[in-house]
Formats: sequence, C-alpha cells, structure tokens
Amino acid sequence: MKAAATLEIPRKRIAAGVVVLLVLALFPWLGPPVYFVSFLFTVFLYVTLATSWNFIGGYAGYLSFGQVAFFGIGAYATALMQNGLGLGPAGTMFSTIPAGVLAAVVSAVIGYPCLRLRGPYFAVITLCFAFVIQLAFRNLDVVGGADGLWLKAMNLPIEVSRSVMYEAMLILVGVTVLVSIAVSRSKFGAGLRAIKEDEEVAQTMAVNAPMLKMRAFALSAFFTGTAGGIYAYYLTYIHPDIVFDVNISILIVLMALFGGGGTWLGPVLGATVLTVVNELLSTFVKAELARIIYGLLFIVVIIFMPNGLMEFFRKRSEDRRSASPESAA
Amino acid sequence: MRRIYSVLFPAVVATIGLAVIFASCGPVAAAEKPIVIGGSLPLTGQFAETGVWIERGMKFWAQEINAKGGLLGRPVVFKIYDDESNVGKAVTFAEKAITVDKVDLLFGGYPGTASRAVMPVAEKHKYVYVSMGGHLKSFEQGYQYSFGGPPLLGEWWYEGFFQWLETVPPEQRPKKAAVYTMNNPIGASLIESIQKWTKKLGIEVVVDEKYNLPLPDASSLIVKAKQMNCDILFANGFFADGVMMVRAAKAMEYNPKAIVQGIGSVVPAWIKELGPDGDFVFSGTVLHHKLKYPGNDRLNEFVKKEYELDGYPVYFGFGYAWMDTLTQAVEGAKSLDQTKIRDWLRTNKVNSICGPIKFDEKGLPDPINFCTQIIKGQVELIWPKDVRTAEPAYPKPAWGKN
Amino acid sequence: MNTVLVVQSLISGVIMGAVYALLGVGFSLSWGVMKVINISHAAFGLIGAFIAYGMLKLWGVDPIVSLAVTVPFLFVAACLVYRVLILPVTRAKEVIVSSMILTFGVAIILENLLLLLWGPDPRLLTTSYSTRVLILGPFYFQYPQLAGFLMSAAGVALIHLFLSKTYTGKAVRAAWQQPEAAQLCGVNLKRISTITFGIAVASAGAGGVGLAFLYSFEPHAHNLWLIYLFLVVIVGGVGNVLGTAAAGVIIGVITGLSLAFLPYQWVNLLTFGLLMVILVLRPEGLFRSEV
Repeated sequence: MKAAATLEIPRKRIAAGVVVLLVLALFPWLGPPVYFVSFLFTVFLYVTLATSWNFIGGYAGYLSFGQVAFFGIGAYATALMQNGLGLGPAGTMFSTIPAGVLAAVVSAVIGYPCLRLRGPYFAVITLCFAFVIQLAFRNLDVVGGADGLWLKAMNLPIEVSRSVMYEAMLILVGVTVLVSIAVSRSKFGAGLRAIKEDEEVAQTMAVNAPMLKMRAFALSAFFTGTAGGIYAYYLTYIHPDIVFDVNISILIVLMALFGGGGTWLGPVLGATVLTVVNELLSTFVKAELARIIYGLLFIVVIIFMPNGLMEFFRKRSEDRRSASPESAA
Repeated sequence: MRRIYSVLFPAVVATIGLAVIFASCGPVAAAEKPIVIGGSLPLTGQFAETGVWIERGMKFWAQEINAKGGLLGRPVVFKIYDDESNVGKAVTFAEKAITVDKVDLLFGGYPGTASRAVMPVAEKHKYVYVSMGGHLKSFEQGYQYSFGGPPLLGEWWYEGFFQWLETVPPEQRPKKAAVYTMNNPIGASLIESIQKWTKKLGIEVVVDEKYNLPLPDASSLIVKAKQMNCDILFANGFFADGVMMVRAAKAMEYNPKAIVQGIGSVVPAWIKELGPDGDFVFSGTVLHHKLKYPGNDRLNEFVKKEYELDGYPVYFGFGYAWMDTLTQAVEGAKSLDQTKIRDWLRTNKVNSICGPIKFDEKGLPDPINFCTQIIKGQVELIWPKDVRTAEPAYPKPAWGKN
Repeated sequence: MNTVLVVQSLISGVIMGAVYALLGVGFSLSWGVMKVINISHAAFGLIGAFIAYGMLKLWGVDPIVSLAVTVPFLFVAACLVYRVLILPVTRAKEVIVSSMILTFGVAIILENLLLLLWGPDPRLLTTSYSTRVLILGPFYFQYPQLAGFLMSAAGVALIHLFLSKTYTGKAVRAAWQQPEAAQLCGVNLKRISTITFGIAVASAGAGGVGLAFLYSFEPHAHNLWLIYLFLVVIVGGVGNVLGTAAAGVIIGVITGLSLAFLPYQWVNLLTFGLLMVILVLRPEGLFRSEV
C-alpha cells in the first residue's frame, strides 16, 4: 500500500502554501482581538505536536504515547535556562532550540531500549515513560517540584508579546510541516514506510531499521521539545501537571490518527479540526453537552472514515485520477 | 449579481443608520445594556465538583443584585466558559473574555494553578482579577491587578487550628505528629505552617511524607503513624485520600488526639458520604456559613431552599464573595474603569461575608483563618473564640465511642 | 525490618492488585481477541460503580447484589455498542488504531452522561460492613476490601472457567488463535466477537464495583483507572486472563512493598519504572500470551 507518497505538489500548490503562510504571518499585526492570536497559537502548537509525532507514529507506525515527556522537557529546559542564565526575550526564544535538542537527546537515550519493542508494547512503554518523567519532575525540588516554575514575561504590551509568540510558533509549525513533507518524499521516509509495512522484510532490503527509527524518534522529540519551550514562555508559569499532562500525549495521537497517520497533511488536518471544533463547542454549547458532542465527533468520523479524515480526501483525489495507475488505498 | 448589490448596499446602510439613531437616542437604551462578567470555570473534568459550586455562588450573587436593580443601575450577566479543568484553556478563555467578548469584569476561577496562569494575563490586559489566587507565591510576582478577595491560601489554612491548639495546656497537647501531604502546590503550601507551628508548640514531627495522587492505599500510612505513636495526624490532601485515611484509621483502631485534614473535609460530600466517621476532623477555612457577618444569612437561606443544605458550602461562598468584592469596588469607584476599580480596592475596605478585608500592596488581606471541626455532621467554627459555634471535641473520642 | 508494616502493605497491595485484575481481564480480552483497545472500558466500570451506589442509597441493596442488575445491563449495552459502533470499524486497515479513537469518543460520552446524571460530587460505597474489620494478630483486613478481593477472585475465576470449559468460551479462544480455522469449523466470528465484548464490558462493571469498595469515585475517575489497566494487561500478556490476574497481584505487591520501604512520593515512579524495565526485558509480558 502506498501511502500518500505520490502527493505531487504542483507549482500552484506551492504558491498557495506561500500565500497562506504570508497571510497567517500578517494576521496578528492587523489588530484582531488578542484572543484570536492566542487561539491560532494553540492551533499551531497542536499541529506542530501532531506533525512531529507523525514521524515516529504515522510514518514508522510506532505509536508513541510519550510525546508529552519531550514537550515538558523542552518547557522546563527553557524555563530553567531563562531563570539560570537571566535571559532576555530573544535569549529565551532561542533557548527553545537547545531545549528541543535536549529533548532529542533524551529520546535517543530512551529510544535505544524502547524502539526494540513493537506495537502496543512500544505504546505502553512510552506512556510509562511520560508518567515517570512527570513524577520525577514533581518530586525534584531543584526544578520547582510540586510548586512549578515561573518565567519572566516579556516587558511588552500584551498584543505585541502574544504576536511574537504567534510568529515563533508559526515559524516552528512551518518548519515542522516542511520537514515532514520533505521526509515523506525522501528515501528516509520510504524507509520508514517500509518499516511500518513490515519491519523484517524492510531489514532484509538493507533498510537500517534501528537507525531510521531512532532518527524519526529524535526528530519528533526535537520539534515537540522546542514547541514546549515556546509554550512555557507563553504561559509564563509551568508545572508538571500542566506540561507533563498525559492527556496531551493521548490527544496528540488521536489528532494525528483522526486526520490520517501516513501522510503529512493528516496530522495538520486532524489537529486543526479538533482544536477548532473543541473551541467552538466550548464557546457555544453548555459544558457537558459540548463534551458529549466532541465524543460523538470521534465516533462518527471514525465509523465513516476509519482511516482518518485523509481517507475522505484520498478517495476524492483517486476518483479524479481514475485513469492513472494508483494502487488501491 | 450587480443588481443585487445595488439594492443590498443601500438597504444595509439604511439599517445600520437607523440602528445607530435608535441606539444613541434615549439613555434608557444604554441603561438596559447589561454588565458582562466573564472568565472560565472547571465545569467538567477533574475539578468539576468545585467549579460547579463556585458557579452556583456566582449565579446567586447575580440573582440577588439584579433583584435590587443591578450594578450601577445595570443588570449583570455572566459569560462562563468551561475550561475542562485545563490550565491552558483557562488562559485562552480569559483572553477570549477580555479581547473578544470585551467583558466589563473578570471573575476568578479554580484551582490555584489556573489562577496562577491567569493572573499574568489579567495583569497584561490591565483587568482587575479577584480570585482565590494561587497561594502565596502567586502574590509575590508583583502583579498590581490581582486581588485575593478573599484568597484561598494553603499557607493560612491551618493558622486557626494552631492558634487554638496553643490555648490547650501543654501537657494535653499532642506530642508527636504524623504529616502526610499530597505532592502538589496546595500540599506544598500547607506544609509551611505545620513546620513553623509544630516547632513553636513543641510537637515532634516523626513522620513527614509526601505522596502522589491518586493515593493507592492508606493503610501503610496509618500503620506507620500508629507504630510511631503519633497522637496527631495531618492528612494534607483532598477528598479521595482524606476519606481513605479516615477509613483506614478507623479500621486499624488508630486513635490520635486529633486528625487535621486539608481540603477534602470542607466539601459537602465529606459529611454526606462519610457520615459519623467524618466527625471530629479539624480543618481550616476562609469562609463559613455560621459567621455573623452580613450576607451569610441570605446565602444560608437560599441554599436551604434550593439545595436543602444546612449552610452554604465553602466554594459557593467563594463564588459569591469574589463577586461581592467586585461589586463594592465598582460601586465605590462608581465606574467600570479597571484602573479606578484597582485603586479603590487598594485604598478601601471591603465588607465581605468573612469579615472586613483590606488589601495590602500584594493584593492580599490580613490572614483570614478560621479553625473548623466537624461535630455531629456539622462544620463548626472553633477559633477565633468570638466566632466559636461549638466547643471543640478534644481529644478525639475513640472510634465507635462517639 | 518492620514486619507489620511490610505485611500490612502487602495485604493492601494484593487486594488492590486483585481488584485491578478483575477490571483488567475484560480489557485484555477485548484487546487480545477482537484487537479492540477499549478506552471506554474503565468508564463502563464506573457505570457499574454508580449503579451500585444508587441501588445502595435507594433500596439498601448490597453492591455485590447490584451486579445482578449491572452485569446483564452492561452485557446488553456492550453487545449493542459492538454491533453498531465497533463492527463497522473493524474493516479499517488498523483496527487497533480506529478502535482506540472510537472508544475514546465513547468514553467521553459516558463520562459526561454520568456527569449530567450524577453531578461531579465524589461518592463512597457505605455498606453496613464498610467499617468493620477482620483482625488476625497484628494485621487488619477491612471488610469492604475483603469483599472486593473475593469478588475479584471469583470474577476472574469465572471468566477463566468460561473460556476453558464452555463451548462458547473455547470458541472464543479458537477464534483468537486461528480465526480462519475456527470459521471453517462453523464458528460465527461476528457472534463470538459480540459475545466476548459483552462479557468483557460486563466484567468491567464488576471491576468497577470492586474499585468502588476501595476508593471514592466520580465521573472523571475512569481516567485514573485506565492507566493501571494498561499496566496490568501488558505485564500479564494481552489476551491472557490468568496472566492479567497474576499481573494485577504482582503490581499490587510491588506497590504495597514500595509503600513500606520507600518515601511515598517515589512509589508511583518505581511502579512505572519497573514496568518499563519489564517491558524492555520481556515485552510479551511475564506470561505467555494465550487466551
């Protein structure tokens, strides 16, 4: 089964993509209420998280439920660097990158034993890892323990500081998605897909599975960690229950799979749709009812599109190109 | 297409024009415009129980004030979002209330971690934020617009109890303490006062452990306390773990002179679910339905009629009290201007249902601390002496002998 | 060594583990046999707890007796859920993934229905024997915990017997091990799957009552239970009923012992850390995966 590897991107689409990015970049400076800037920030955050999860989860088929551990590590690393080194706004922003690198390093350390496991076992061990990290941070007073950590906010009017956060996250999500597209069309991506299809067979075809998996895992950890750093600066107060919240891990997986795991667009769609719908529901519908409708959404979509939202789009694009020899999805 | 536009355009302009004319004529129209108070509460998720009670208190306040003609002559209306007990959502909804709904006032949320995250947002937007606060540290960040009116500070929670314990003759006081604390910001704030006071009162802390929620089992905690002959037990936790400790204590015939519980025993469920086993537990509070300050009787009356309870639950009181504080500030400043409200709060006294409150430069009043004890299924006030509603039962009667 | 502390902690740990085992058995079954990771499993368990609470408060019915209502009710409800919601999803490329997403939605709906019906207040099961204790030497056995333990042991035994001794049960095992062969022998896979799911969820109801004997609960509680479910099932081996039971006891023992020896705030960390070690060293679980 070929995943969406054959998504050709004609020049029209590239132009469209650039326009979208420019419009998004311009948006906060046009004076909308700060809430929308913050809301889009949240959307970009989840798209980043879902897309970076996809490297290991969607492409390679290793469902990691521990992404929030890297998110929190990135958040804490940034907070600690700011507090410890007395960084200013620019410094703090840039410290999110080494924070992401730290998360990637941790992923390599933890990935070495964990990536040897398959399927549900990998899922559970990554979930355990998320818990272990959360508990560790809660118990260690040197990183704030059960009290949490404060960051110094930017000394700017809130419209400006929120816009800066927005742009930072926009840059991150743009880079993450671009890398995701690049990977999906590269030999690296083909290797990952081969692993997902059948790991033993892939290995016989000279695919260095362990190396590729580690790379995918590290890639996912890096972007997740960097996102965590930016989020820490956005909230200016972090705590293990906030940035190591296992629900985030679970939500990321669901978003990516809801959208469709094997493609770069799936997580983007899934994260965007779910975040927007959730917000709309919370705004217009009474509390418990909103949650029930949210739950129904999962059920209804999965029944009609068991492989995620992308299935809907792929079917349509296949119908349109019924002449070309596309393998049945 | 063009023809539709040529008709549509003038029609729209005319409608807008008429609307503007109607709106601007007659002050009556402006006076009817309600005051919107916005923010978020955990109405679902982990903290739903508390969130729902806060909402009820707030809505009672609104009902009361609207019946009296409103605030500054205008009816009040809430815009309450459900943040699902999620801190990130509390932040975005606070921003939404401020920047999209353009609410006139903000209301305080729950729990302390959410308040900690919303305070900087309110600060940046220069909106007054009257809430429970996020314990002492959150008031040490230099925010000018945040007020604990009244706050829920773990650091003060046991002050009343210890002040009462000080009046107990030394030979009757407990000698050894077992302290079990949940590992989160609330727990951390409770420990401070215990450390200070046990030293002062000559109580030896023999067991001092933190546990993560959810607590898997309480029996080992009780065994330890019993083995070390601890005659006072501090169960610094929520409802679930508090219940487990009490039940285990009863089962293992552990009879300390006093059991002091954190936050779990002040909710109605404690008495409702535990019954007589929940008796004699000490705790603290900031609000209480038996206080004689004006307003308490009205709340009690309403709660009796509406929920058949013999006294309003603490968080109902908080929801009411925060709104009450805002009301006095708005009426005192005679304006909805946030800076004027802030300045009024900084310089004036608020008459709350837990007594007069005067804010310091941190946004905190003087420590409010009442000691409570559950006696015969009622939360009674023990300290200060002038608000006492029942004699404290000390030492605690042995299990099954009350 | 503080023998009393250690043994008492062990006792509590084993009881806790047994109760989680009962809740986990059904979870393991639906995962192993139908490849359905039922995220709403614990939520169904919670329904059992609430029904027990309601019947206790309204009519003084003992929670164990309330199972006479809960078990059939959940069985029927589960069969319906399987037929209507899950079966269509089994045609997906990756059933496990789709079933997870689906049951996640179901869990949210169940939680919020419970919230609407019961409100967010926490509940306790308070029976006549709730505070009675069996004292053997220096050791205490709280009656409700004993009840939970016995019920869980019985429940697990029942399920095991069903799978190994009854025709339907054997058909379930056959369908799990070799679906095509089973079909050739006239086993109706759809019917078997539905029944298995029904049993799995019905047992969740019993597991929920077991947990309610030990802990207070409110609509959100199923999230906390779910984590332990994953632990128990993975350690015990997916689809392995006795393995899951043993895993529950083992995890309970580890928790109990660590409560006796470690500062409490490190206990959960140890449990999860140990689980990670077990997974790395022996991922298929401590026991062989066979139904």
